[in-house]
Amino acid sequence: MLKDLVEAPLIQLGMTAADWEEAVRVAAAPLVENGKVTPAYVDDIIVGAKEHGPYFVLTEHVAMPHARPECGALDSAIGITTLKTPVDFGSPANDPVKYLFCLSAKDDDDHIAALQSLVELLGNPEFFKVLDEATSAEDVLEFIRNAEEGTE
Amino acid sequence: MAKEYKALVCCRAGMGSSMMLKIKADQVISENDMPIKTEHGNLDSLNGFTGDLVITMSDLTDELSRDPRVPYALGITNIVDKVEIKQKLDEFLATKANEE
Repeated sequence: MLKDLVEAPLIQLGMTAADWEEAVRVAAAPLVENGKVTPAYVDDIIVGAKEHGPYFVLTEHVAMPHARPECGALDSAIGITTLKTPVDFGSPANDPVKYLFCLSAKDDDDHIAALQSLVELLGNPEFFKVLDEATSAEDVLEFIRNAEEGTE
Repeated sequence: MAKEYKALVCCRAGMGSSMMLKIKADQVISENDMPIKTEHGNLDSLNGFTGDLVITMSDLTDELSRDPRVPYALGITNIVDKVEIKQKLDEFLATKANEE
């Protein structure tokens, strides 16, 4: 479940970043600090986006930066970062990005249920309202727990 | 039995966007009874790919539509928009129907 992969220290609200690259680094920083990914993993996200374009921009204002598991995913986790001022990622349909869900997926299976809930939340305007209005990580976690309750 | 088309849903990493895109595409396929079966992978999965269709986030589509290993590249711009996904899968199926 998503609630198992999102931990309070991985949630950052109202952060600032000058451009997409800094936004990715800001979003990934707590995953590095908490031993979820190596610094090389973060570099690989940036390299990948430069090579192939922002393939992890998923819907309006939403990016899910991630790299290949073998590039330094240590433990499956999803971070949540909101930006005070959205930045362009070079995705005409979905720019500017305000919400970043940095993903570390260690193996192919344990994160699938989490991604399933996340993709449903991304279609729920209420979720973004909570992200905009939350004053603490706990507000966000509570919404996720409640949203997943019915699906367990 | 009608032909079933094989689709590869992929992204660079093969773990994140592609998995989510597969989840949404499968919802649309099953809700609309489309004859498409999906699997997911990363860009390396294109080596030896023998299916009919490759689905990715649209930022990769330009690159893929020039790739000789890709028979038909379908790019999605908004992962939560089932209308977009359905419309693009319908276009694919219509193209296939015209070929036969």
